[in-house]
Amino acid sequence: MKFLPKSEKNEYYGYPNWRSKAFFILIIGFFSILIIGFIALNFGAIAIQPQKIWSIIWQHQTDDSLGLIIWELRLPRLIMAMLAGMALAVVGGSFQGILRNPLTDPYILGVSAGAALGACIAIAFQYTMGLFLAPFLPVFALFGSFVSIYLVYLLSRKRLHLPTTDLLLSGVAINFFFSAIITLLLAISRRGTHSMLFWLMGDLSTASWQKVSWIALPAFAGTIYQISAALELNAMALGEEEALHLGIQTGKLRLKIFLTGSMMIAAVVSFTGLIGFVGLVIPHIARLLVGPDHRIMLPASALMGSLFLLICDTLARSIMAPNEIPIGAITALIGAPLFIHLLKRRNDSDGY
Amino acid sequence: MDIDSKPIVSLEGVSFSYNSQPVLQEINLSLFPGKFIGIIGPNGSGKTTMLKLISGILTPQKGEVKVDNRNVRTIPRREMAKIISMVPQESYVAYNYKIKEIVFMGRIPYINQWKGETIPDYQISYDAMERTDSLGYAEKRIHQISGGEKQRVQIARALAQTPRILMLDEFTSHLDLSYKYEISKILQDALKKELKCIISVFHDLNLASFCSDQLILLNKGRIETIGTPQEVINEYNLKKVYRTKPYIIQHPELSIPQVIM
Amino acid sequence: MHKRLMMPMAILLTLSLLVLISFPVWGNSQDNLFPITLVDVLNTEVTLLQKPERIISIAPHTTEIIFALGLENKLVGRSEFCNYPLEAENIENIGLMSPLNLEKIISLKPDLVLAYGGYQAKEIPRLRELGFKVLVTEPTSLYEMLATIELISTACGEPKKGRELIANLQERINLITSLNTAITETDRLKVFTGSNYETIWSPGKGTIFDELITLAGGQNIVANLEGWVPVSAELVAQAEPDIIIISSGIMNPEETDKMKQDVIDHPGWSQIPAIRNNQIFTVNEDLFYREGPRLVDGLELLYEIFTQVREK
Repeated sequence: MKFLPKSEKNEYYGYPNWRSKAFFILIIGFFSILIIGFIALNFGAIAIQPQKIWSIIWQHQTDDSLGLIIWELRLPRLIMAMLAGMALAVVGGSFQGILRNPLTDPYILGVSAGAALGACIAIAFQYTMGLFLAPFLPVFALFGSFVSIYLVYLLSRKRLHLPTTDLLLSGVAINFFFSAIITLLLAISRRGTHSMLFWLMGDLSTASWQKVSWIALPAFAGTIYQISAALELNAMALGEEEALHLGIQTGKLRLKIFLTGSMMIAAVVSFTGLIGFVGLVIPHIARLLVGPDHRIMLPASALMGSLFLLICDTLARSIMAPNEIPIGAITALIGAPLFIHLLKRRNDSDGY
Repeated sequence: MDIDSKPIVSLEGVSFSYNSQPVLQEINLSLFPGKFIGIIGPNGSGKTTMLKLISGILTPQKGEVKVDNRNVRTIPRREMAKIISMVPQESYVAYNYKIKEIVFMGRIPYINQWKGETIPDYQISYDAMERTDSLGYAEKRIHQISGGEKQRVQIARALAQTPRILMLDEFTSHLDLSYKYEISKILQDALKKELKCIISVFHDLNLASFCSDQLILLNKGRIETIGTPQEVINEYNLKKVYRTKPYIIQHPELSIPQVIM
Repeated sequence: MHKRLMMPMAILLTLSLLVLISFPVWGNSQDNLFPITLVDVLNTEVTLLQKPERIISIAPHTTEIIFALGLENKLVGRSEFCNYPLEAENIENIGLMSPLNLEKIISLKPDLVLAYGGYQAKEIPRLRELGFKVLVTEPTSLYEMLATIELISTACGEPKKGRELIANLQERINLITSLNTAITETDRLKVFTGSNYETIWSPGKGTIFDELITLAGGQNIVANLEGWVPVSAELVAQAEPDIIIISSGIMNPEETDKMKQDVIDHPGWSQIPAIRNNQIFTVNEDLFYREGPRLVDGLELLYEIFTQVREK
């Protein structure tokens, strides 16, 4: 790391290079993930001594039921929660950047619902026509999220200033439309009904290493790719025309963010079901903590999103043990009031 | 001020229509370096569209726009950003950035995402803030400062972009008298120092007359006249374009025309 | 129509008895019964190497079957909803039926998990992946309920106990059907049953409740509609049922009286024969919806109600 020369000018205006800031955040995030992750491993329906957990992990002990619980249930679940949280938060942050609106999130825009609809179509086919489509569920989810993101894209392409109300209303309309189709599917395919409903609720209880390996690539690749567009997203904050004048190909940028974003959402939704509001809450808090510069805000969102969903999932499985609360309910409980607060503050200020 | 005989911007037979509604028709225009060019005309006469055509954000259906004798369509956006920078009419910054962060954004065309800003970038931005007198609130956030201050920040950002052509779109819309004067001084100063040319859309005819070396009067998508303020701002032209009869007097100290009701 | 129905039904029941009796016998003594391969309702082959000693039942009906077979000492876990018989409450609770708490299940080290088809579609493959033996059942008729008893008793290594239980239940079913053979189509009482929600959901063709009503000598007013159907109040008024049956999970007199009163006060229903003659009955829903041996109790209860009404 290079340090700036200590001339007076640079000391006062030498904005510390973003890399040192991001590096600092990564270090903090890494250690808090290790610590909170280990604490989270201690929670569950079964009480296991922390020392025991430690030795199970170090000795890679999987032969007895305690080993099975740690290695096959708690660990993959924990990692799945973190990957999903990371992807949801980063997509939330980049969507807010590209649409210039902090009230945006893939869940509110209906992208998650699109992915869910795609997956439900796969389930319905499976039950009504006997086609075995389960392995292609993520493909259907991807297709569904593309459709809904395309609707958002159509809306945001022509207008340079997309008012909050338009964005939210279109999100509501897309969500209604998709849930209507899902209801229809539920009515048609009786046998698949339960499996669809429980799938829609969103939970991580069936996390496995296999699912983790499926979700890891799109989550990490998408996150890094979106962070690489951070500078361009900063320019977008000035306005679309201003970004164009700063040399940003905004059309390409939008396509880039929307395509990678819907890919990440489809991956997450395929394996965890619908978990809302993470993409709304986390970038908002990240912006308050580290400022709006996307180069720092997006990595911070990724880390905080992982931690947030990890904590929410730990709560979900321990508050009412042995019963589980759907994790989506917990994120919504935290996210919805914040959403209303943001909406109110926007209305109080200047209409934006 | 170096006088160059080659035009820095030229429009050749340019027509542009939006949703098959003609906005600009058969525009032929050459702009030469070293001048402060003002574009005036009533609402809907195509002033802002002309700026966007020059910076290549819009592409004309007919004709060619050339900057530095190159067709703007062949200039990549990033390269264009090093030639032309733009001060928007009024802009809402979506997130609450610090002022200095906004000014640093002027360096985006020059920096690599992963490397970030380097010391020369900070120095250029610092100078831009110093010249626009916006150093005092560099640490403040954009949503905390007044409209006039925001306008100066935008000019600082545009100057930090180190363009050769600076474009402004009704930059005075929110400003009170002292700010108007100061900013026009800043711009004149920049034109003397590093800018090849300033192109600005004006709503306020008196300010246009005060700032500009050359005025373009647009009327219904066509150029009515081009010339010095003395040549353009006269009762005949204004009555024809604005459809009201204005009174024109001479400025008591400067030899420029001023319009009164 | 009902005469036409009676014959196939009698044939079906006789056949089913024959099928059950002739069910493959996997061995003469219990020692060489295992390893055994069974096929469950999801068409999955489940191979049990040894006689299961630690069983988890995650559905009320399987818990009831285990108890009816007298195998409750092998039960190490049950779902929150397994509330019958009362002794089931003493067995470790593993929580809701969905989502399943896998951790809790694994910690109990079961060698057989009895799961319910509809609700646990996501968790069952995961349990199997981890090497647990999961047998999925989802009976949708009286006959399938008996077959489920056969399956579970075989899986538990006690096919004899299963056959005894089935024979006993079959005998009780046959008694009711034989008593009903004399009933003509016009004698059949029209029966309406539905949930007491805003939207009335009523069990139609293909549901066990419908099957029980027919076997007990009644005529379900929504028998021509498939599955669980949302029924309009108008349809009920038009069908003029002779009997209204309210099934409820809560069986205290205050609640049931209130439910009865709600039905009586239902707008547009005052001219329905069941309401004019006050033939409204509240029954414990578990006897009709829980696919265990108590369905036969439910059948007997319906028969009693119908006979009582008919005699008036």
